[in-house]
Amino acid sequence: MATQDVEPGSAQRLDKDTRETLVTVVRHAFLLSWSFVVLFPLYWLASMSLKPPGQANSLPPDWIFLPTVYNYIQLAQQSDFVGAFVNSLVMVGASVVLVLLIGVPAAYVLSRYDIPMERDVLVWILSSRMLPPIAVVLPFFIIFRELNLFDTRIGMVLMYISINLSLVVWVMKAFFDGIPETLEEAARVDGATQFQGFRKVILPAAKPGIFSVAIISFIFAWIELLFGLVLTSFEAVPVTLFVYSFIGSRSIEWSMLAAASTAMIIPVAIFLIAVNKYLAAGLSFGVVIKE
Amino acid sequence: MSTPTQTETTNTEGLARVRDLWNDYLPYWFMAPMVLVMVSITFFPGAYDLYLSLIAEPTLNVFAAEFVGLENYRTAFTRGGAFHSFVITVTVVVSALLLESVLGFFLAAFVAGVESTRMKSFYRVLFILPMAVAPVSLATIGRLMLNTEIGIIPYVINTATPFTSPAFLSDLPLLTVILLDTWNWTPFMFIIFYAGLSSVPDTLVEASRVDGAPLWRRYVHVIIPYMKPVVFVAALIRLIDLFRTFGVVYGLTQGGPGTATQLVSINIYEQMFINNQVGVAAAIAVVYLVFVIAIANIVIAKVGFEGVWD
Repeated sequence: MATQDVEPGSAQRLDKDTRETLVTVVRHAFLLSWSFVVLFPLYWLASMSLKPPGQANSLPPDWIFLPTVYNYIQLAQQSDFVGAFVNSLVMVGASVVLVLLIGVPAAYVLSRYDIPMERDVLVWILSSRMLPPIAVVLPFFIIFRELNLFDTRIGMVLMYISINLSLVVWVMKAFFDGIPETLEEAARVDGATQFQGFRKVILPAAKPGIFSVAIISFIFAWIELLFGLVLTSFEAVPVTLFVYSFIGSRSIEWSMLAAASTAMIIPVAIFLIAVNKYLAAGLSFGVVIKE
Repeated sequence: MSTPTQTETTNTEGLARVRDLWNDYLPYWFMAPMVLVMVSITFFPGAYDLYLSLIAEPTLNVFAAEFVGLENYRTAFTRGGAFHSFVITVTVVVSALLLESVLGFFLAAFVAGVESTRMKSFYRVLFILPMAVAPVSLATIGRLMLNTEIGIIPYVINTATPFTSPAFLSDLPLLTVILLDTWNWTPFMFIIFYAGLSSVPDTLVEASRVDGAPLWRRYVHVIIPYMKPVVFVAALIRLIDLFRTFGVVYGLTQGGPGTATQLVSINIYEQMFINNQVGVAAAIAVVYLVFVIAIANIVIAKVGFEGVWD
C-alpha cells in the first residue's frame, strides 16, 4: 500500500521535471528562432548595403564578401539624399521640440487640476490619434496650397506635431501623476510661484518621461511617409519619401536602396536602445508606467 | 534709492500686471496651445472632409459651392471600390492584431522566464529592433528578400525545400503585408506585455505555484486576468495604429496587384491624387473616420482604462 502511495507521487514529480525541461527547451527554441527572424532581414539589408553593386543580388548569395562603403559614399554624394536626410532631421527635430512645448504644460494641468469632464477631454485628445492620417491630410493639402505652406518645412512640422501631441499629453500626464504633489507644495511654501514650481521642481523630476516621450515622438514622425508624399514635392521632402521614390524608379539600384534604408534605420535603432527602459511607458501612452 | 520716474513706475506696474495675469491664469495659458492645436487637427479636418464630401468641386467659398448631397458617397461605394477596401483593411487589421498580440505575449512570457538577467536584457534589446524600421524601409526589405528573381527567401525555398516558392508579391500580397507588419510591430506588443508581466506581484505567482497549478493554468487563471488592463490598452493602441497603416503597403505593392491590397488609406489617396476625385476621396475619408472612431470608442468603453483616470 505504501509503495502505491509513493509511486504515483514520484511519477508525478518525474513528470513535472520532464515538463519543466520541455518548457525550457521550447522556450529557448522559440526565442532563438525569433531572434533569427528579427536579425536576418536586418542583416540582409545591411550586408547588401555593404556589397559592391554588381555583387548585391547575385544568387546563390555571396555569404563571404569584402565589405565596402562604396554605396554610402555614392549616397552621400547625392544631394537629393543628403537634402532629404537633413530635411527630416530638422523637421522632425523641430516638431519634437514644439510638441513638447505644447503638450507638457497641458499634461501638467490635466494632472494637477480638476478639469471638468476630464475623461472626455482625454479621450478627445486620444481621438486625434484615431484619425487616419489620410483623412487629416486631405483638408490640409487644400489649405496648405492656399496658405503657401505646401512643400514647406513649416507645414511638415505642423503635421508631425499632429501625430504626436496626444502621445505627449497622455504619457506626461501619467508621469506627472506619479510625482507627489508635496514636492511643489514645498516649493510654494518657500515662496515660489506655481510656474516656478513647475519649472524648477516638477520638470526636473519628470525628465526621464520627457526624454523617452521625445524620442518616441521623434521615431513616429521620422518613419512617416504619407505627409511627405502628399504635402511635399521638392523643397521639404523627408527621407522616407526619398526612399519611396527610389523604390519607384524604373531600374532599382538595390545596393544604394539598401544603403539608404540602413542609414535611415541606424539612428532610430540607437534611440530605441537608449530609451529601452522607458519604452513601455511611452508606447502604452503612459498606461504601463513602470516595470 | 532714488524715486522712480513716472515711466519706470508704469513699466514695473505693467510687468507686474503681466506676471499676475500669467500666474493667476496659469492653467489656461498651459492648456490653450494644446487645445488650439487639438481643435485644428481633429474638428477642423473632420468638418472639412464632411464639407468636401458634400460638394461637387472643391472650393474654399462655401457660397459658391455646389452641394450634391450624398452623390459622392454613392459613387464611392459603387464605382470607388470603397466597400472592397474596407474589407481589405479589416482583414489586415484583425489578422495583424491577433498575430502580433499572440506572438508578443509568448515572447514576453518566454523572455520573462529566462533565468540569466544578462540574456533577458539581450533579448529585450534585440526584440525591439524591428520597430526601428520605417514602413517604407520595410517595404524595401520586403522587395529585396521576396522578389522572385533576386530574393533570398524564394531562392531558399526553391533550392533547400521540395516546394516551389510562391510569388509573394503577386500571388500572396495580402498575407505578405500582414506578415511584414507582424514583423515590424510585434515588438510593440512584446514591450508592453513584458512590462505588464513584470508588474504581476511575485507573491501572486508564488501562491499559485504552491497550489501546484501547471504553468498554463497559472497563466490563464492568475497572470492574464491580473494584466488584463495592460493587454487591452496595448491592443487598443495597436488597433488604432493599424488603421493608420499606409507606408508599408504603398511601398510594397501600391495597393496592387489590381486592388488586392488596396487599404482604405490607399483608396482615398488614389481617389484624391490619381483620379482627382476630391469629393469621392473625402466621402470615403468621412466614413473611415466615423468607422475607426466608433470602433475605438466601443473598445474604450469596454476597457475603461483602469488606473488611467479617477
